[in-house]
Amino acid sequence: MIKNYFKIAWRNLMKNKVFSFINVFGLAAGLASCMLICLYVYDELRFDKHHKNVEQLYQLGTVFVRSDGEKKSSTVPAGVAAAMKQEFPEVVNTTRFTTLFADDKVLLQYKNGSETRSFYESKGCVADASFFTFFDYNFIEGTATTALVNPNSVVITEAIAQKIFGKTSALNKIIHVESNTNGTSDYTVTGVFRPGAEPTHIDSEFFLSFLGGGLENYTKQQTSMAGNNMFFTYVELQKGTNVEHLKAKFPAFVDKYMGNDLKKAGFNKRQLMTAVSDIHLNSEIPENVTPPGSWTYLYILMSIALFTLLIACINFMNLSTARSSKRSGEVGIRKVLGAQRQGLIYQFMSESLLLSGIAFIFSIAIVRLLIPVFESVSGKIFSFTPPQYLGLISIFLGLSIVAGLLAGIYPAFYLSSFIPIKVLKGRFSNSLAAVSLRKGLVVFQFTISVMLIVASVVIANQMDFLRSKDLGFAKDQQLVIPLRSETSKGIYTPLKNALSVSNQIQSVGASAYYPGIFNPEDANYYREGQTADDSKPARTNRIDDNFLQTMDIKPVAGRLFGKAFTADSSSIIINEKAVSALGFASPEEAVGKKISTDRQTQKVSWTVVGVVKDFHFEDLKTPIMPFAFMLSERPDYNYLLAHVKGQDITTALKTAETAWHQLNPNEPFEYSFLNDDFQKNYKAENRLSSIVGYFTFIAILISCLGLFGLATFSAEQRTKEIGVRKVLGASVSTIVALLSKDFLKLVLVAVVIASPIAWFVMNKWLQDFAYRININWTVFAITTFVALMIAFLTIGFQAIKAAVANPVKSLRTE
Amino acid sequence: MLLNLKNIYKWYNVGGNRTFILKDINFEVQEGEFISIMGPSGSGKSTLLNIIGMLDEPNEGTYNFLHENVFKLKEKQRAQLYKQYIGFVFQQYHLIDELTVYENIETPLIYQDVKTSERKALVADMLDRFNIVGKKDLFPNQLSGGQQQLVGIARALIAKPKLILADEPTGNLNSKQGEEIMQLFKQLNTEGVTIIQVTHSEKNAAYSSHIVNLLDGVIKR
Repeated sequence: MIKNYFKIAWRNLMKNKVFSFINVFGLAAGLASCMLICLYVYDELRFDKHHKNVEQLYQLGTVFVRSDGEKKSSTVPAGVAAAMKQEFPEVVNTTRFTTLFADDKVLLQYKNGSETRSFYESKGCVADASFFTFFDYNFIEGTATTALVNPNSVVITEAIAQKIFGKTSALNKIIHVESNTNGTSDYTVTGVFRPGAEPTHIDSEFFLSFLGGGLENYTKQQTSMAGNNMFFTYVELQKGTNVEHLKAKFPAFVDKYMGNDLKKAGFNKRQLMTAVSDIHLNSEIPENVTPPGSWTYLYILMSIALFTLLIACINFMNLSTARSSKRSGEVGIRKVLGAQRQGLIYQFMSESLLLSGIAFIFSIAIVRLLIPVFESVSGKIFSFTPPQYLGLISIFLGLSIVAGLLAGIYPAFYLSSFIPIKVLKGRFSNSLAAVSLRKGLVVFQFTISVMLIVASVVIANQMDFLRSKDLGFAKDQQLVIPLRSETSKGIYTPLKNALSVSNQIQSVGASAYYPGIFNPEDANYYREGQTADDSKPARTNRIDDNFLQTMDIKPVAGRLFGKAFTADSSSIIINEKAVSALGFASPEEAVGKKISTDRQTQKVSWTVVGVVKDFHFEDLKTPIMPFAFMLSERPDYNYLLAHVKGQDITTALKTAETAWHQLNPNEPFEYSFLNDDFQKNYKAENRLSSIVGYFTFIAILISCLGLFGLATFSAEQRTKEIGVRKVLGASVSTIVALLSKDFLKLVLVAVVIASPIAWFVMNKWLQDFAYRININWTVFAITTFVALMIAFLTIGFQAIKAAVANPVKSLRTE
Repeated sequence: MLLNLKNIYKWYNVGGNRTFILKDINFEVQEGEFISIMGPSGSGKSTLLNIIGMLDEPNEGTYNFLHENVFKLKEKQRAQLYKQYIGFVFQQYHLIDELTVYENIETPLIYQDVKTSERKALVADMLDRFNIVGKKDLFPNQLSGGQQQLVGIARALIAKPKLILADEPTGNLNSKQGEEIMQLFKQLNTEGVTIIQVTHSEKNAAYSSHIVNLLDGVIKR
């Protein structure tokens, strides 16, 4: 019986190639979308699940309680780890690590005889000796447990090892590392690991031992438990520890170990603890070693994928019921020959299952094909073990079967309900209910498509806004040359001079940080007459006397630093936000006033010499905050910035490179453009933008295929009517209008339904940005136009074909 | 007695008026009869045939088939009854386009849960008997009208029914083909199959043992 069903199903598929293609292709595209999203979601869910003791591992975090609100952070001061172990017997072991946060790239050098080879690596960190006993890494050289025990040891990835040492063993070789964060030193390679297939929240590619680096000394001096929250700290708890019970003891712990320091610093803290396996998706802290995933993002992706599949299922339903007149005869005969309704339902269900089975095979092929594209769009690498693949494939198969059942169930019940004497005699007509349901489903499909179009347009507009908004400084043609090593920091003055005289370069400045990259330094300032309790945090940048001019950051009161002003070592320049935060009435009033900060117990004061216009030193998701500039005491700037004149960037680059090589022949010349660096902050948004873009395309494609099928069918059914109308004198255009009108009406209804929903959802998304566009009516006008155009192009072909056909022919065939 | 109909009424309500299709039909069929139902268009011939075939229900009246009161049976039992005892032949043949000749003939057996091997034997017999072995793998649209109707009759006979109901079986055929079909019916009838056909043609009616004349829903004696 089943064999019989499938045979008929197959013959039906072959007989109606257009409809079969629409259904198979649509379902395959829908399934492939779902599968890709499945891969993504699965990868997100398995973060950090693979560590041996993961159930016992927790990350400590901090809530900063200030008068102006609370802020959560996933880092703690260096001393917390030891204090925890001392205070709580439940804590078996601790480990700390910190990324090289003040470096976007770190210089690694290897001296092989007389030859020195230099490499830049971006993902470095400094870790405690116990780090590799907490987290599982696949060591291919060295021993994980002992790798970071000795001072000045380094563990690197296989890729870095191959880059530096080629085929020879890396073990016990010496690498010279220069870092802004951890200082300059020689390190012995004690381990090489191969990054696993399992994703983890720590993406470091080389690990420096905590012992022997600059940070070790720093933490020895800075023992305050209030500030210096720079360590990601993990604890391993005894098996069977009641976590809630332990957390309840934290307030007393904070009191005991941090109370004094906090009182001095003028704010309070709470201790947090997050299970390591929860860090990526279920953490309450917005930032971590790597940006955590977000359920919202996953829900968006999953619903887009499901809707895409649903659109494809709807195509099947609509085309099956629309064409039911063709199948009605068969149903009638089968019933007369003794078929039960149940049997017919099975038959139609097996047809849709066969279809989804074929679609499944195609979709697997599509997924195989698209994985590289999807990897680059989603920023993930998908690699799974064979059992995982098997699991995924069976999930996919299950998904296909569910889709087949979903698509098939309504047509099966509908088709099997026909009464034989009605369908065997006379003409068959679709029931009104079925026709309205079909219209409803088309509206539903296009509602989703229209929502996706609106989303794409809004996201594109916002991205465009992010790219083009005036940031309050000259963001274009700013050449950034990083000064990473002692040598390169040493050539600051001659390099600056060499560039300054160049014709292509307008202005040169240097700084510790620049807008768009992380600015880790901050301090709490207060004005004369206030105390540390009233102090307000402001980000702080150490610059040279020409940085503000180079960046074209404009003063609103007072002056900028400059060569002419030689006594500026205790001068400070603040932005407008800082003026109001510190409680000055106006920028003019602030100029000439003293502001201070407490370092340890010592009060340090500066005189405000200028106020600059607010500018965006972080991405547009964050509101502008108080900011302060001061001159660096020593010329140890991290970056040299050159504002290139005119359009001749290539020549300017050549000039810079030549100057660099003359002054520092041993290190490669490296550069970036400030605007590019700034745009890197929108990686997640760009990713969302392209994913939504792709899926919008797929959803529209599938919807249109369905519409095309319905239009084809409708034109076929109305051949006679069209013939009669033409004989009576109707023009081609009125007939095209007649055939298109019904469908376009549905699309219009979809626009009306989708617009407010899309407006609401996208407004919500925009709330993430402190600076955003307004969704105005043009978005909806564009969307309506696009949707109608796409729909018309889809229907138009069939409509015109039907309209220009010779009526004599169509009437004769009737 | 194979079946009898008592006081069968069938009507439609059109705008508050009752339009009768069948009016007080009383009708009895013995096993082995060959009956032709005749009458002008709209006289209710097909409706009567559909009621006998249990595809339609009257508004009033009783119908006994092999001493079972048909309209008191549950849907399933009724389906069981006609599956087993009744075969249908249609004017438009109503073969399933997607199935081959062989498969079309086989279909009723599938619905009666006959085993595969047995089905094969039965269909092979039938193909043999109708001399269409060579056409068994063709699809209906590759056959002439007469051949299609032969397949239709073969399909109606495959389950060895006691009763064949034929609604203008020769209506779409030319006279030569029609004659062949009627010869076939005659022969089946002599083999013991009861046949009820609806026809417009006096010539076809002449093959039968008994003619029922319908006019405006009433049997004319």
